[in-house]
Amino acid sequence: MLTERPTGTDGAIAALLDDPAVASCIVAHRELQPRPPRYAAWPPGMDQRVVDGLRSRGVEAPYVHQGAAYAHAIAGRNVVVVTPTASGKTLCYNLPVLDAIAHDSAARALYLFPTKALAADQLVELRALADAGGIGLKTHTYDGDTPPNVRAVVRAAGQVVITNPDMLHAAILPHHTKWFKLFENLQYVVIDELHSYRGLFGSHVANVVRRLRRICRHYGSDPTFICASATIANPRDLAEQILEAPVELVDDNGAPSGRRHVLIVNPPVANEQLGIRGSALLTGQRIAERLIGDAVQTIAFSRSRTSVEVLTTYLQETFAPAPGHPQIIRGYRGGYLPNERNEIERGLRDGRVRGVVATNALELGIDIGGLDAAISIGYPGTIASTWQQLGRSGRRAGTSLSALVCSSGPIDQFLATHPEYLFDSSPEHGLINPDNLHVLLNHLRASTFELPVPGSERFGIDETPALLDVLQEDGWIRRAEDDRYYWSHENFPASDFSLRSGAPENVVIVDTTGDRNRVLGEVDLFAAPLLVHPKAIYIHEGVQYHVDILDWDERKAFVTRTDVDYYTDADLGITLKVLAVHDEADAPRPGRRQRGEVMVAWKVTMFKKIKYHTHENVGWGSIDLPEQEMHTSATWLVPPAELVNRYDRETLAGALIGLARLARTTASLLLMCDPRDLGVLAQVQAPFTGRPTLYLYDAVPGGVGLTERLFDLTDELIRTSREAVEACPCADGCPACVGPAIEVGPGGKRTATELLAAMAPAA
Amino acid sequence: MTPTVGGRTIGDRLAEIRAQRPAPLPTPRPRDRAEELARWFGARLEVADGAATVVLERSIRLKPAEAAALGGLTRAVYFDTETTGLSTGAGTVPFLAGLGVLRGESLVVRQLLLPDYPHERGLLRRLCAELADGERIVTYNGRGFDLPLLASRLTVHGFFAEQAALPAVHDDLLPIARRLWRRPLGGARLADVESAVLGVRRGSDCPSGEVPLRYFGYLRGGSPEPLVAVLDHNLQDIVSLARLEAVVMLLRAGAWREVSLLDHRGFALELIRLGEPETAREVLEHALAGTGRQPDALHLRRLAARLLVAAGEAERAERLWLDGTRGASAETAWAWVEVARLRERQGGDLRGALDAVTAASRSLDVAFALGRGGGIGEIGAARVAVERRLRRLRRWVAARERRSAPRRGAAA
Repeated sequence: MLTERPTGTDGAIAALLDDPAVASCIVAHRELQPRPPRYAAWPPGMDQRVVDGLRSRGVEAPYVHQGAAYAHAIAGRNVVVVTPTASGKTLCYNLPVLDAIAHDSAARALYLFPTKALAADQLVELRALADAGGIGLKTHTYDGDTPPNVRAVVRAAGQVVITNPDMLHAAILPHHTKWFKLFENLQYVVIDELHSYRGLFGSHVANVVRRLRRICRHYGSDPTFICASATIANPRDLAEQILEAPVELVDDNGAPSGRRHVLIVNPPVANEQLGIRGSALLTGQRIAERLIGDAVQTIAFSRSRTSVEVLTTYLQETFAPAPGHPQIIRGYRGGYLPNERNEIERGLRDGRVRGVVATNALELGIDIGGLDAAISIGYPGTIASTWQQLGRSGRRAGTSLSALVCSSGPIDQFLATHPEYLFDSSPEHGLINPDNLHVLLNHLRASTFELPVPGSERFGIDETPALLDVLQEDGWIRRAEDDRYYWSHENFPASDFSLRSGAPENVVIVDTTGDRNRVLGEVDLFAAPLLVHPKAIYIHEGVQYHVDILDWDERKAFVTRTDVDYYTDADLGITLKVLAVHDEADAPRPGRRQRGEVMVAWKVTMFKKIKYHTHENVGWGSIDLPEQEMHTSATWLVPPAELVNRYDRETLAGALIGLARLARTTASLLLMCDPRDLGVLAQVQAPFTGRPTLYLYDAVPGGVGLTERLFDLTDELIRTSREAVEACPCADGCPACVGPAIEVGPGGKRTATELLAAMAPAA
Repeated sequence: MTPTVGGRTIGDRLAEIRAQRPAPLPTPRPRDRAEELARWFGARLEVADGAATVVLERSIRLKPAEAAALGGLTRAVYFDTETTGLSTGAGTVPFLAGLGVLRGESLVVRQLLLPDYPHERGLLRRLCAELADGERIVTYNGRGFDLPLLASRLTVHGFFAEQAALPAVHDDLLPIARRLWRRPLGGARLADVESAVLGVRRGSDCPSGEVPLRYFGYLRGGSPEPLVAVLDHNLQDIVSLARLEAVVMLLRAGAWREVSLLDHRGFALELIRLGEPETAREVLEHALAGTGRQPDALHLRRLAARLLVAAGEAERAERLWLDGTRGASAETAWAWVEVARLRERQGGDLRGALDAVTAASRSLDVAFALGRGGGIGEIGAARVAVERRLRRLRRWVAARERRSAPRRGAAA
């Protein structure tokens, strides 16, 4: 057989699109046209050295969005810049900052990035720019990797301090006296990747900004904030919520871009009856193999750590290097150690690595150079992160390819039939709840340590005095005779809690295979029971490890290398207790709807062993680990009693499981959040209501406001869910609606539909 | 992570507190408490600028020799603080500052006690004035803790002028104490050193870990009684600090000849740092001449020999090493190697050096045969170095002899 081998990336992409096997699966194909640049004039007051520096680096004039951001910043107006990947966002803040320092060497700026890797990248970028302009700029990163001797210099003389919110929280703010030069002269605070500060993390960061503001006020400075964000629906809202101040929006992108094909690929139906489609992983794998085989540098994103490892293994089998040569396919995810990650990033930049399989670790804008193709396997959870993943390709001029491969999951299938949701609808809202009491109390403690709090001061909410009294009652702080609250505890509060997760610590994974124990990586405490329970198969860089011991108290998992043909999947058991009802829906609606505070407890009870490739269940085991719990907010629905009595318990249980699954999907669409941010629980006879109940709760301690909002949207939730289930062509349920019949029972889909119809408000 | 305390949610507790709120919390009557505190200790209450400080003064008689040793030094303030925590973050406050100055044969210790946080400005002002009175500040670990913390507090309150007026000279005794006593004592905390070196026995002392708790207990309305031990603890620290400096001065003046508890090498290094290499050498030679086998004789000898060579006394250095060549052991071999090195470098005597290394090799043979004088690893390591040197020297000696041989041949 003679086939014409395509030449170059353009040819390879064209050949892929023409291949009938692939084309038949493409449910949507958009071609994004190249766009020419649009420029602004150099602002008149800008320091000539900055202008010359940019010119020498090939920037003839700023793009319109860069000009606008600069104008707002120097006028002292907070600004948020929202433009796509690789549109020159960094210049939006580097311009005003460098200009300020060029005019006055005493001026200071603080840069916040969500990761150390991004901070390191930006340091290189900023230094190069300053050097090009001949501006002697003193700047350095300040994080866990900064050597001790450099730290003292950065504190005293750093004009631009590049760090992350965690470091600001734990190391800079509590030691503000060592940084008074910075705080006295702080002119700009740059917050890049603003969209990553959503949910619990965002709520923490908003409180870190509150603390930062207090300290700036103490030292007499009032910095202007420059934020940059990927495309989300409410960048300005989010920025204003985090900063608690008015913010100007700049979203008119003037940067050029190359031609890009964006595809939605839906694997063919494998089983009509059960509504099961072919594996997204295998479809994604085939596309990746074709592209990599044609020398198209490709990145594939997969949702879970496990599937990343599985896909890495498959691709490494296909593209096995010659003996003695390094792998050209690499896995990349959160649990890897920094030097491993750096090596992979370098390999991508210089082309030694041809294919990468990643979780969302690469989603944040680390500059790894232009990749030719990006494949998202399974909807990543949010529209914003989908575009971020797909945007990893096509950063340079020239044709590129982005593809979303749909899984059989409900949202994926929704997108396959409604591609306009991806292409046209506005992406998610970044929701935060800075006034989450758990978060707020922790930061109020930390803030009192930093500076005493007058009884009249408001830290975020009007109830600050009551919170201060709670802290006093607990013995952390004490009100003195001058009506100020002082830190009165020997501990150092900022080290008590982390901004990243509810879990204060991680579980360290230790490989005991060799002569000496070696740390493989870490998983967070909440995920640990699922991933590293005893007898689990933990996969790292395509290598399988058997978990021998999980020492829960020491937060350590001991593993040994193994080679088996199965992986493990753990089951989670959840219980829920209602603590308080805050609101109840108006009477005329059928059934009952309430929202309030709940205590959710979960425990991993058993695991299954699942064979590779065939995915058959080949065994199971029980897990004995302590229960974990959190206090959060929830909204719950109770179907009308008269309807419920018609069904037997088993049918009802199946229907509720289906309903829970459906409601979670629909709710995440309505709230424009990641489905993982929501927890669901269906109980046939809930202890609190005494009746069948469907709970939806915020999956972080204290809640971030999702289900509070959902409570107002329950009519929408029921209507949309009903439409979705009625529109689904399957007979007795499938993964795209209520779930397969095997899970919801033979009458599950019908009963769920009837329950929804009964709960729907009268038209 | 359990977000409830005592079974109540934060929401419940907020509601309770809101319900209670109309009834104001009992406010302490500030002046009364500060006065009560001062009365308790029989101290003065000094009020400046609305801020009160409790000031205690006590005079401790020193040993005449120690007082005399300190009398010759520039005016020092011996300084130590007790704080509300161990971090140097912005929320840690020094609530007690002890300051000792020498007056005649006595150490006058003034202690400034903070009646409550809002009075901190008064304490800091007073403290800076006292410190500025001296020409230098003497502390124990002040470089790592007390002074950075003071700087932090002065920054919080914007007292930059006061900060600039503090004495520029700061003598931290911790590094010196480490050199002099850490090895023999296995630690150099002030408590270790004062009991071993000064013979201080603290009675009912307050453990450091309890210090913040006792102060918080007082602030929350408790009795000042638990603070008595804290003040005594601080007083003892100041006295020990001054006496320790006296002991160091006395050692430098010659007391090292009499004491046994001393890391002679560390002391010699300290003397070298102070620009007294002569005395350093004497100390080392004294230690080597001492009875009993010195566990670190090799190190002592090496430092002493280096000092001798630097002073241009290579022959004495060689003799010093030769003293160390008795017996057969790895250590003996190293001493021979040093002899060889000196002969080669200082005197250009290759033949003599070869003899010395040959002796080193023989010493290792004997040690190995007898199974003493060092572990197998130690002897092995010495063997490698000795053999390498031996081969090189043999080669060089042979080469030199070849060069002179033809001349003899021509004369024949």
